[in-house]
Amino acid sequence: MKKFFKSIVFVFILLLLVETLTLVLLPGRNVKKYGVFEVAAYEILGEEENTIDVIAAGDSLVYSSLSPMEIWKHFGYTVFDCASAAQIIPDTYDFLKVGIKSQHPKIVLMEANVLFRDPAKKKQENKLLDYLKYYFPIAKYHDNWKKYITYGRKKNWANVYKGYKFINKVEPATEIHPMSGSKKRREIIKSNLQTFDDIVKLCEENNVKLVLVAFPTQSTWSSKKHNSTQDLAEKYGLEFIDLNLVDLGINWETDTKDAGNHLNYKGAIKVSKYIGNYLESTNILKDHRKDEKYKSYINAYRIYYQNHKEQLDKIETTAIE
Amino acid sequence: MNYFDLTYIFLFLPIVIIVYNIMPKKIKPAILLLASFVFFFMISKFLIAFLLLSILSVYLGTRWMSKVDRKRDEVLESTEKEQKKEIKNKYRRRKKLILILVILFNITFLFAFKYLKFFTLNTNFLLNCMHVGWRIKVFKFMAPIGISYYTLQAISYIVDVYQEKVEADKNIIRVSLYLSFFPQIMEGPIARYSQTAHALYERVRVNFQNFCFGYQRILYGLFKKFVIADRLNVVVGKIFSNYQNYDGITIFMGIAFYTLLLYMEFSGTMDVVIGSGEIFNVKIPENFRQPFFAKNISEFWTRWHISLGAWFKDYIFYPVSLSKPMKKLTMRARKGLGNHLGALISGAIALFAVWFLNGLWHGAGWTFLFYGLYQFTLILSGNIAEPFIKDLCTKLKINRQNIAYRIFQSVKMTFFVFIGELFFRAPTLEVGFGMLKMMFTKIHISTLWNGNLFKLGMDKKDFLIVFLALIVIFIVSILREKNINIRESISKKNIGIRWLIYYALILAIIIFGAYGPGYIPVDPIYADF
Repeated sequence: MKKFFKSIVFVFILLLLVETLTLVLLPGRNVKKYGVFEVAAYEILGEEENTIDVIAAGDSLVYSSLSPMEIWKHFGYTVFDCASAAQIIPDTYDFLKVGIKSQHPKIVLMEANVLFRDPAKKKQENKLLDYLKYYFPIAKYHDNWKKYITYGRKKNWANVYKGYKFINKVEPATEIHPMSGSKKRREIIKSNLQTFDDIVKLCEENNVKLVLVAFPTQSTWSSKKHNSTQDLAEKYGLEFIDLNLVDLGINWETDTKDAGNHLNYKGAIKVSKYIGNYLESTNILKDHRKDEKYKSYINAYRIYYQNHKEQLDKIETTAIE
Repeated sequence: MNYFDLTYIFLFLPIVIIVYNIMPKKIKPAILLLASFVFFFMISKFLIAFLLLSILSVYLGTRWMSKVDRKRDEVLESTEKEQKKEIKNKYRRRKKLILILVILFNITFLFAFKYLKFFTLNTNFLLNCMHVGWRIKVFKFMAPIGISYYTLQAISYIVDVYQEKVEADKNIIRVSLYLSFFPQIMEGPIARYSQTAHALYERVRVNFQNFCFGYQRILYGLFKKFVIADRLNVVVGKIFSNYQNYDGITIFMGIAFYTLLLYMEFSGTMDVVIGSGEIFNVKIPENFRQPFFAKNISEFWTRWHISLGAWFKDYIFYPVSLSKPMKKLTMRARKGLGNHLGALISGAIALFAVWFLNGLWHGAGWTFLFYGLYQFTLILSGNIAEPFIKDLCTKLKINRQNIAYRIFQSVKMTFFVFIGELFFRAPTLEVGFGMLKMMFTKIHISTLWNGNLFKLGMDKKDFLIVFLALIVIFIVSILREKNINIRESISKKNIGIRWLIYYALILAIIIFGAYGPGYIPVDPIYADF
């Protein structure tokens, strides 16, 4: 009995220590308003409220294809990638709920590939990890001790890349698979259609323009998926941009990190410019580059540029040539 | 699922402990066996059939041998002294036949799953070179997890029964458990029947001390894996996949980091494995004993992957070197080459067999074969040179027990280990030699201070964490080398210090573990062998 009691005390003190460290290492803002879990899981909550113009939600194709800092540099719009690997549509909905509530964006770019992923097939292991991150958000933010040493304790550690993952790696695509032009449809499962309907309603209620986007890839997209997404977009009267059908000048020898599955930073810069132009064409957004309220984006760009000066300068030089 | 998965540590293992404890004593071994089969099935699904076939073949084979032994003893009782030898030989031949059949049966699976593709590809290459028009169809099967480990355990058991070192077990559950105990099945250690089988069947409840000691050992393994191995993985991956872009110093760092990663990952896995066994009061043999404290490569291999080395020593080296033809060869060689070199001949042949097979065991590839032969060359040249070095040291008045000489030996040995691991990790021999060449020919000293080393996926803070974590490992290694039982010593401290150490270890893993965005966890390297 004594041992049992001791064990309980041991675990209790451990939880207390973990909780204390969590408070130290977590981005502090919004803790009260949104709960610790949400701050940890949703990096967008690290941003000043109502400063994000566009939320891009979806799977790894989003965080590897769309670089908000590039859009900021050229257009002055604030974009945030609310993306996670192999994201399922219920997660997209959760991301958007939190993002829209805290930021009131004007446009949501929803990546279309999530429509075709079966939520039931998400690995058990990921679920366990999700639970762990839910109850122990330190599991996601444990690495913040580095920022703590570099920048000191701050109330808000905003993500410098705004959800984007800068990937330098090049692995040329061995085969190019152009869209086949098939007229067939890939079925979207019923529960995903229901969740999509919820997303549409969420956007309508908050006066957000919802746009469906398919990002360039050589392996996860197809004409069948395109056709089904197009049907859905037409049904709801939404815009659908399929970047696999647009000539973005992507070189599948140099612009992909994993043989055509995802883009690297070179490909992402091309996509980001295109999306920036599209956003400009909507005439909904304003250029914030000279707005003091958006100082954090100005700082973020500075750090982004410093971190990747070598690669970014090379791209700039090539473009001028 | 692997041993570092949260599912294993926080779900699978606790469930097995609870079920094992609440079940009646009689069926406790069956619970462990069921857990082992479930574990295997979760990873390899229906390939479990091959594990079951191996178990069955070994069980039936050993029982058959036991029957032959009984029969022999009966016959011997009523046989005249002069005929006894002949009778013994007759029954030994029968047993040998069973032994060969069972070994062949098990080796066939191992060959089909691991080596068939390699051999067909190379045969096709030869056919092509000889301008032969036809090719063998290349098959590649998904191997059952741990086949390289349980096959060697199966062979060791049947050989031990053949040699009458252990009795053939009547209890199929005990034999099955010995061959498939879930903590060992994926990455070993390759235990002998006499080491674990009886402990697995002891049916002892999990007690508080075993539970605590077991999980402490698991924690230490997690520390090695998450804080060190996973942190180094990104850098190692970058350097090995694009080595042409880096200079010799960076490549050397990549090789050193890979060796460290391998050591931390594999020995960390062994900590989880041994800790898991300890919970159930099963003493799984150690697989590492401070390998970098070794004086030479030969000693290194008695401290690194100990169970594999011991297996090769007992089941390949001795049978080959002590075989009749080898004994004859040694006698002749001694006459011709003198006592030192003559005695080395049969040993060298046996050593070659060991390292050829050792290389092949690690994988069906030329890099692994090269790796094995590299170790063979080092050990053999060390053996040949030993008396000459001894003489030289005496003449030059160098004290071989001197600390400076010991450091020199350690540095030399570590360097040789690095080169071996370079080929172990390199995707092809060409890449291995390319990296080796660049390591010596493309040296840019400025790499040491221009900050490029911190741009490979580990910044200065990461380097600091690795350094501090290695100091912890180093201190623990020294204590273990001095035969100090660290967990016993800690358990004798007062509760404040004790808990402080545990909390520090747990929090270090949580905070400084290299997991989450930006890190790539190391896959279980030895599970692939």
